[in-house]
Amino acid sequence: MPPKGKAQKPKGPETSKAPSTAPAPQQAASPALSAPPANVKQRSQQRFDESRPYEVARQKVGLSGLSPAEQVGWISARFARSNAVARSRLGPKSQRELWRHVNEANLPVRALKKDPFWGRDRNGRDVGEYNLAQFDDRTAKRIALTALEVSSRAFGDLRERANRGPRDETSGLVVTETEVQEERVRRASMATLRKELYGEKMTGKLAQDPEWDDVEPIPYEEPAVALAAIAYPEEYAEAISYLRAVMQKKECSPRCLRLTEHIISMNPSHYTVWLYRASNIFALKLPFLDELNWLNSVALENLKNYQIWHHRHLLIENYYPKIADSPSAIADLAASEQEFLATILAEDTKNYHVWSYRSYLVSKLGLWGNADELAAMESMIRDDVRNNSAWSHRFYIIFSNPEHSTPGTASTEPDPRAPPDIVDREIQFAQDRIYLAPQNQSPWIYLRGVLVKGGRKLASVEKFVEEFITGLEEQGSKEDIQSTHALDLLAEIYAEKGDKKKADLCLRRLGDKWDRIRVGYWEWRRKCLGTPGGEVVAQA
Amino acid sequence: MARPRPSDQRFSPAAAAATHPFSGRFEPADEEFVIEHTYPAYMIPDLFTVAPPVRDALVTATSRAQDKTVDICLPFLSGEDDVFKYNEHGVPRLNKTNHIKFLHRSLEPLPGGFILMDASRPWFLYWSLSAMTMLGEDVSVYKDAIIETVRSMQNETGGFGGGGGQLSHLATTYAVVLALALVGAEEGFEIVDRKAMWRWICSLKQPDGGFQVGVGGEEDIRGAYCAAVIVTLLNLPLDLTPESPAWTAGSDKNLFSGLAEYVKRCQTFEGGISGQPNAEAHGAYAFCALGCLSILGDPRRIIPRYLDVPRLISWLSSRQYAPEGGFSGRTNKLVDGCYSHWVGGCFPLIEACFNTPSNKQAGMKSDSASPKKLPPASESLFSREGLIRYILCCCQEPSRKGGLRDKPGKAADAYHSCYVLSGLSSAQHQWELTSSVEGDLTGGQMDSVWNVLPYLEDDVQIFDHGDRVLPIHPVYAIPLQHQQAIRSYFLAKEGF
Repeated sequence: MPPKGKAQKPKGPETSKAPSTAPAPQQAASPALSAPPANVKQRSQQRFDESRPYEVARQKVGLSGLSPAEQVGWISARFARSNAVARSRLGPKSQRELWRHVNEANLPVRALKKDPFWGRDRNGRDVGEYNLAQFDDRTAKRIALTALEVSSRAFGDLRERANRGPRDETSGLVVTETEVQEERVRRASMATLRKELYGEKMTGKLAQDPEWDDVEPIPYEEPAVALAAIAYPEEYAEAISYLRAVMQKKECSPRCLRLTEHIISMNPSHYTVWLYRASNIFALKLPFLDELNWLNSVALENLKNYQIWHHRHLLIENYYPKIADSPSAIADLAASEQEFLATILAEDTKNYHVWSYRSYLVSKLGLWGNADELAAMESMIRDDVRNNSAWSHRFYIIFSNPEHSTPGTASTEPDPRAPPDIVDREIQFAQDRIYLAPQNQSPWIYLRGVLVKGGRKLASVEKFVEEFITGLEEQGSKEDIQSTHALDLLAEIYAEKGDKKKADLCLRRLGDKWDRIRVGYWEWRRKCLGTPGGEVVAQA
Repeated sequence: MARPRPSDQRFSPAAAAATHPFSGRFEPADEEFVIEHTYPAYMIPDLFTVAPPVRDALVTATSRAQDKTVDICLPFLSGEDDVFKYNEHGVPRLNKTNHIKFLHRSLEPLPGGFILMDASRPWFLYWSLSAMTMLGEDVSVYKDAIIETVRSMQNETGGFGGGGGQLSHLATTYAVVLALALVGAEEGFEIVDRKAMWRWICSLKQPDGGFQVGVGGEEDIRGAYCAAVIVTLLNLPLDLTPESPAWTAGSDKNLFSGLAEYVKRCQTFEGGISGQPNAEAHGAYAFCALGCLSILGDPRRIIPRYLDVPRLISWLSSRQYAPEGGFSGRTNKLVDGCYSHWVGGCFPLIEACFNTPSNKQAGMKSDSASPKKLPPASESLFSREGLIRYILCCCQEPSRKGGLRDKPGKAADAYHSCYVLSGLSSAQHQWELTSSVEGDLTGGQMDSVWNVLPYLEDDVQIFDHGDRVLPIHPVYAIPLQHQQAIRSYFLAKEGF
């Protein structure tokens, strides 16, 4: 940096207050220089010229072209800024003369360097090309950064002393939360300033956070040849390197919890971070409801996510023992869960993970006979009678109710404990919905499932099934089939009754005309009819 | 209700006009539509070009989504899309070159937007390598890179996570083991710490017979299938460690005890299989269930012993829709290319049980445990033509980017590329179970011997001869020789 001492201060236009010997030499010689400089380089040039009075004029017109006063000024200035050895070659008188001139004309006694380098900014631009306002701004930032660095070092010293604890005579020192918060703000400002001034990478959020100062992150270094390596965004790369560090130490703390939230916000399908979060929640004994509320918002933002529902499962597993003795607490939990499930299923009616969770919830909280649960299924089936997830769940809550089912009975097997009135009700329920859309397979499968569960003959619904089939005959022009599923069931009914011929006709018509894509299956079913004991399909 | 003419004749130009997909699709059948423009005389059965003969008037969210899907697929199915070149059967070629390029690219560095896949990276390895292998591409060039990549994903406590610093997971471990098998390198097999792996898998085994997918993770049938594959391919001991949650003093329970019963509990009243007991039947879990059982024992006996096979077949068969031709994953859900494997891959296992010469023998011997005798299915239980049409017409990304996809309008990805091609492979081949080593059900060393043949249609083959992809093992989902190589490598090992 060029010297900016006071010696240079009087210069340019201001210097001209010593007109006695050399009236406004620079102005006359170079009017352009009197204009305010456009950028830092120009100002440097101006100052350089000012530190060499009459030099510009001399270069133009030669020494002899200057007035005698100017010549004296030029020579005096040269001697004044030259070194003492050079000056010592002058006699004592000449030296006195020299200093007299210097004083009178207020000549600079030190010269500036030519073309000083001002450095480059973060974009590689020469700072010398900054205009003066920009330059002042940059200077102010550098000063501010230095000030922050000083304060930050002071914070570091303070905390180090505090950490040394009682052994130190200054024991009793504590770093307050306010101070930590101030330091956090300070580091954020420092990072911003460094980035603006020097283009330094923004330090990661965590590296900047005084709360994480004691953790040495473990970055994940992929081998150079790694396949399908993901170019992690910096923030993510930083966060998972801190995650590895705290997981290695098995740390459970509020800051770890915040770290998991941070990572989940970037990648909710990171199963490791979810499991780690759960262990933190349980280790810190955090309130179940707080976590559940947080989870609700995450779930709504990530409808397709898988891990969220296992996390919820773990929360319920952990919480349930605490309320197991309180039927009212269980009822409250059931009601709030049902409410949330209604919200989420309204967004995505067939979400597999949500439905799987729902079936878990029923078994955990014993909701088989819960009226609201049944009503919820009824309402979802009303909204879309083809929602098979709702049909499937309905079957589960009704026929797996431990109050009237035999443990260990397979889903496709009859259960002697299935109450006849419920079986009747469900047959009716399915039939009513089949009328709405006879080609909808869900209620047909349901109907068949109910019949089997209840130990009923399939033929008990023969009349109903026949309503959807008219004029069944080979190549018949009057043949009218409203439902291929009815025809399928009818084939089973005929087989059950031993009428293989009619059963075979149903299956042939399915394969030939009404459901040709499945012809291979229908043909196999026909073969089943011929095999001794082949009615198995009907008896399953 | 729209009704097509009762005809399943292959297309003639005149018939093509009359059964143009948009003629009467949403109109009463008696209204005649005159189609002005003509299409090339592709031989496409009208089954794949018109709406199904029985449709309901009631509109719900489900039917809207279904109708929209049919609309999107029909132009591709009926040869009207102008980006593909169709053969005389109205089927485009399998664009191997572009798909292979796409798969190589998916192993290159991925941009930051992929962080959502950060916990699934081993899957990218398996999906891409498996798909390339089926397309006939040599993947051994990836040997060193695979080994280096998965090395950093292994945990000292056993198993592989989704990436460095992630907990081990059965799904990612399964993907790693299969990826190593695909590059077929013994030095790759050696990086697996089998002792730690065995301890870790024991820690996942639950008292009810199933497996958690990771320590503290969910218990589901994916875990059951992945664990069975890993244990068998790596030839891990079946003994339980005393630290296992399933261990009880003085009992002879092992890693496979109660696993078949767990699978049984996942069959639903629909006949399909749910991810865990009491949930909805879902295609992906049907494959996991059958695959798991086929490892635990001879599929001809163990599948009927633990599952209601007629119900299962009924449900599997219901997954195939016309005109789309592809499979859906659940009742009243949409077709998706990936179920070509999850559902389509069930049929080789089911059909092999019925079609093999030893069926009778097995049936007679077997006895009490398998009370239901089922006839062999001499024809395919599903429409191979339908599935192949859906895959080649609807699941190929038509642009030069390549890759395979869920359905038209969706982006191709490695997952769909792998499972769409696996499904194509199932549809193009026929598996026979020739013998199996007898043994105790839970003895674990059940090696069924499978034979594969190209499936030859009786009349016409709709796809080009060169588009037959390579077969994969019906249980392990990698080529047979790769499965045998890794299995025999570890069988030959004594101790860890």
